[in-house]
Amino acid sequence: MTSERIFVTRLAPLLASLGLLIVWQLASLALDSDSFPTALEAIRVIPSLLGDPETLINFAASLRRMAIGFGVAVAISIPLGLLMGRSRAVASFFNPLLMIIYPVPKAALMPFIMLWLGVGDIAKTLVIFLGVSLPVIYHSFEGAKAVEEKMLWSGAAMGLSSAQRMVRIVLPAALPEILTGCRTGLVLALITMVTSEMIARQSGAGNILFNALDMGQYDTVFAMIIIIGALGICLDGAFERVRRRLVRWSDPQFDIPLSFS
Amino acid sequence: MNVKPSQSDLQPDVVAQGARATAMVEVDSVSQIFQTSAREDYLALSDISLTVAEGAFVSILGPSGCGKSTLLYVVGGFVNPTKGTARMKGKPIIGPGPDRGPVFQEFALFPWKSVLGNVMYGPRQQGVSRATAEAQSRSLIEMVGLKGFENFYPKELSGGMKQRVALARTLAYHPEVLLMDEPFGALDAHTRTRLQNDLLNIWERDRKTVLFVTHSVEEAVFLSDKVVMMTRSPGRIRQIIDIDLPRPRRRSELLLESRYQKYVVDIERMFDDSNVNEL
Repeated sequence: MTSERIFVTRLAPLLASLGLLIVWQLASLALDSDSFPTALEAIRVIPSLLGDPETLINFAASLRRMAIGFGVAVAISIPLGLLMGRSRAVASFFNPLLMIIYPVPKAALMPFIMLWLGVGDIAKTLVIFLGVSLPVIYHSFEGAKAVEEKMLWSGAAMGLSSAQRMVRIVLPAALPEILTGCRTGLVLALITMVTSEMIARQSGAGNILFNALDMGQYDTVFAMIIIIGALGICLDGAFERVRRRLVRWSDPQFDIPLSFS
Repeated sequence: MNVKPSQSDLQPDVVAQGARATAMVEVDSVSQIFQTSAREDYLALSDISLTVAEGAFVSILGPSGCGKSTLLYVVGGFVNPTKGTARMKGKPIIGPGPDRGPVFQEFALFPWKSVLGNVMYGPRQQGVSRATAEAQSRSLIEMVGLKGFENFYPKELSGGMKQRVALARTLAYHPEVLLMDEPFGALDAHTRTRLQNDLLNIWERDRKTVLFVTHSVEEAVFLSDKVVMMTRSPGRIRQIIDIDLPRPRRRSELLLESRYQKYVVDIERMFDDSNVNEL
């Protein structure tokens, strides 16, 4: 029974991916357009693309910018969000600023940032940083706001100072919510990474993708889309593993089989 | 029945002369005004004076919304009173401290810590070594009846078990006063009775000073040496009643005891009267 269930849960994503590829293949054959290669044509390019050291150097550059942008954003956004969640004064100072930045597409800022900082790593990392910051701030804020007052009182009675309560009660209590924000931030980091390289081409995965687009190498374009998508799935999966480990205490437990069949 | 009008034994000068030596907690003319969301002042507590002797089990009894929890928060230092002062062993209370240990209706456990981690938290914060804190915490966990659950997380426990952990967590840092805020209010009747019995057993061993907020008349009479009756809006002390029942108390014997029954009936009747007056 349970092995059958595991089989189904493992198999389902594979079936979904396979289904998508089949639909793609059929749609491409039906449309018969030069700019829409079949799934097989795209997949066929992947090995040579990944075998090319040039591609790997580009990906390494992308991932480095993404890691730095994500890391710095998380390091700044979590404390800021937590402070906003626990102090009305801090919240009312930063909320309007964030409300202004929130709806602006971060890539739309790219031309200005390039004018100020050039087309190099700093500009692109900054865009990634901006993309990641907002969801992490927002979720940290919400998480900190929801921390039970009585939990903080209990800590105060034990002799924790307000700074200690922030680090040792608010932070762990808000962690599930914070990590939800980080997960959204990670996906946004990938998106802003590619778009920033679309606007400021120089190196990176986006650089390969959009150069291929310019040159009409559509099979390479679609191969790159598959690779970036797969990268996203891997990053998200890895993050989800870490997240589950960190907040095992808060997840609802499904150790007991929920099935009645 | 030994019913004292609240005025006679609570004049500040009487407190100053006689009760100071044994007074653990003193509340002196405390009033608390809250701002409602409509920006109106709401008088939650009006001129409350109360002395709690060392080693006494004192219940604060009143209808919901009478400010009894607020009074407890003032003593805990979680809320600063608008007027008046509260003192702990003669020193004005200006904030929370480990000499006053709260136990809340909402349990307020740290969900990311195991049962053992929750109980060890206070002693560790006070610089007790890990080994000592763990040994003491394990015996406390056993005392509250949770041996075998040391490594469980709060989400895996029932309400009654959570409140046992909360009690152990507070006892672990040896507060001089226990501040219990309707601790059994969220529990079913059966669990509540068992926890009352266990609390009484634990308390009768070392007789810590306890301030216990409740809206259950039976609970207050069963547990307490003194019952402070409060009235609603604004919260005032209506009467302080000494509960003159022998200890150790056993529920099965007490329920049959006519003096216990009389306390319960008399107090309930007084609340009924005051409600009529308020309407």
